[in-house]
Amino acid sequence: MLEAQSLSKTYKSDGVDYEALKDVDLSVRRGECIAIVGKSGSGKSTLMHLLACLDAPTNGSVLIDGRDTSAFSERAKNSLRNEKFGFVFQQFFLNGRDTVFENVVLPMRIRGASNAEIKTETNAALTAVGLDDKINKKAKDLSGGEKQRVCIARALVGKPEVIFADEPTGNLDSNTGAAVEELLFDLNHEQGITLVVVTHDADLAGRCDRVIEMKDGRIVADLLKEVTAQ
Amino acid sequence: MKTWDLIRTANRNLFRNKLRTTLTVLAIFVGSFTLTMTNGVGDGMRDYVESQIKNIEGDRVAMVRKKIETPNGPSSGAAVEYKEGSDESDETAIDPNTVLLTQPQIESVVRDIPGIIGVTPRYSIRGEHISVEGSKKYKVELGMLSDGLVAKTETGKSIGGPNQIVLQIGLARALDEKIENLVGKTATVGYKIPDGSIKTVDLTVTGVMTKGFMTNNNSFVSSDVAKRMFEDQSVQAGPNRFLGFTIQMDSSDPTKIEAIKKRLDEKGFEAETVADTQQRTYDAIGIFKTGMNLFAMVALLAASFGIINTLVIAVLERTKEIGLQKALGMGRGKIFAIFSLESVLIGFWGAFLGAVGAIVTGLVANQIFVKFYARSFEGFSLFAFKPISITAIMLLVCGIAFVAGVMPALRASQLNPIESLRYE
Repeated sequence: MLEAQSLSKTYKSDGVDYEALKDVDLSVRRGECIAIVGKSGSGKSTLMHLLACLDAPTNGSVLIDGRDTSAFSERAKNSLRNEKFGFVFQQFFLNGRDTVFENVVLPMRIRGASNAEIKTETNAALTAVGLDDKINKKAKDLSGGEKQRVCIARALVGKPEVIFADEPTGNLDSNTGAAVEELLFDLNHEQGITLVVVTHDADLAGRCDRVIEMKDGRIVADLLKEVTAQ
Repeated sequence: MKTWDLIRTANRNLFRNKLRTTLTVLAIFVGSFTLTMTNGVGDGMRDYVESQIKNIEGDRVAMVRKKIETPNGPSSGAAVEYKEGSDESDETAIDPNTVLLTQPQIESVVRDIPGIIGVTPRYSIRGEHISVEGSKKYKVELGMLSDGLVAKTETGKSIGGPNQIVLQIGLARALDEKIENLVGKTATVGYKIPDGSIKTVDLTVTGVMTKGFMTNNNSFVSSDVAKRMFEDQSVQAGPNRFLGFTIQMDSSDPTKIEAIKKRLDEKGFEAETVADTQQRTYDAIGIFKTGMNLFAMVALLAASFGIINTLVIAVLERTKEIGLQKALGMGRGKIFAIFSLESVLIGFWGAFLGAVGAIVTGLVANQIFVKFYARSFEGFSLFAFKPISITAIMLLVCGIAFVAGVMPALRASQLNPIESLRYE
């Protein structure tokens, strides 16, 4: 469903060109759980940003369900991200002074959903992450693990097809991190949501169906596990 | 995002930093307060003046006088050659060096202008005393009410025929506490003639005039009375000469009046209708009001920099949040709208509170003013607050706030989502 065709990205910093991504080809199938690993500066985040249409490639193109996104207007890209993608970041980017509900509801509000729809979707998302009892709590009063679960609920609300997770456990201790991982894999297995995880955590990567390893802007390994560990 | 959600979000964002928002609103408040006050003074003045100058009406009448032409005009000081018998030979020939004209001269000027149906000199007359059917005698100041002009009255009506007088209100109250009693009674007016003796004339009181400063403290007599008194009082040798004349026109249509004024202008005369006089006064007040409002605008301008500052800081503070919103699919337009709305809301609250503060202050000031100066300025409110002016001010302030918010809002809308999410 997601396809990168000879994707490259060059950043300019202080007048010097820096090639973050060099001629990358990748195909992500629907329902797949894929980890992109590599050291920092390997281009894994850049690849994720391009796949998620958060950034435009210098060369090459990203295809979504066979359609070339480089032809999309900004508006079309915005609604694509809003409706088909969900995002989980290492930093939570929650608004501490707002309630859990208000934080989770953001993609629905951006979409302009009706109040009834917002209510049922948000409740469903919060139930899925096991936080339906904290719906009216202020986000700042939650623990780190709970905050990341709120973020997952925010990614989940409005039924995305793909969830992009950028170091989702990076800010969590191993126990809560494991719970968050569990939650993401459950979503992948049970709801069939495609999962794209960017991480340098080998354990997390090891639990994905497929591991893409990156180095210096290129894919150096693409490991597909035939049998997924349940 | 729905409009209502945008407004709600903007409002919530503002209340996240209450102190900063309050201070910015306060700056706008000062500007809006000042503007509402200065505008209120202007409107108060206009209202008062309007009530005062509207006490003489007449839309088919104009005051005519000769234009003072500067190189040969009487004030130029240039020597003028004397022409033997130039005046006597033709009584309608007009001496270019004087603005004083005889009745035949002015009649010859207006004769061939279509639309003018009458012309009367403006007789200046001096009254001595007045009494009404055996009352005490009071001093009286007299003026002539030209045909076609209507005096606004408290009671009774304006002059409508010969041998009539309409009384000044203060004088009327002295003559009879119940001024309505005076209407229809006979007033005996005494006036001094050149030999020093006092001549009297009996006039019918038609009404009592509404107070107004266009009429000074005059009581007005009909033109026939004014003419007789003037002739009795005149000490001039030869034919009487007048500075001003009143013309009566057959139409109140402004374009026709304009045409008549143009014809008169070509002949070297200027004409001014009651409406012109009123307009001139309104223009003067308008200039005054604009001047005052400019000061308030300076305060608003200063305050708008406060808005820019507040929003620039807010954009920096919320860079990550903007990054997230963009990543989750919020378009530039919506981001721009949220910041613009915040700006306009600051403007709105400042304008609203400023207007409320100004109205309260103004009404209190009016009360105090009435206590101290009510006698000399009857019916004068120091501040007048009109819904339309207040609405206009609020819209203006919101508009200024919007403009102030454009730069920060554009900045916010153009942020790159990835960089914003990484912003520290």
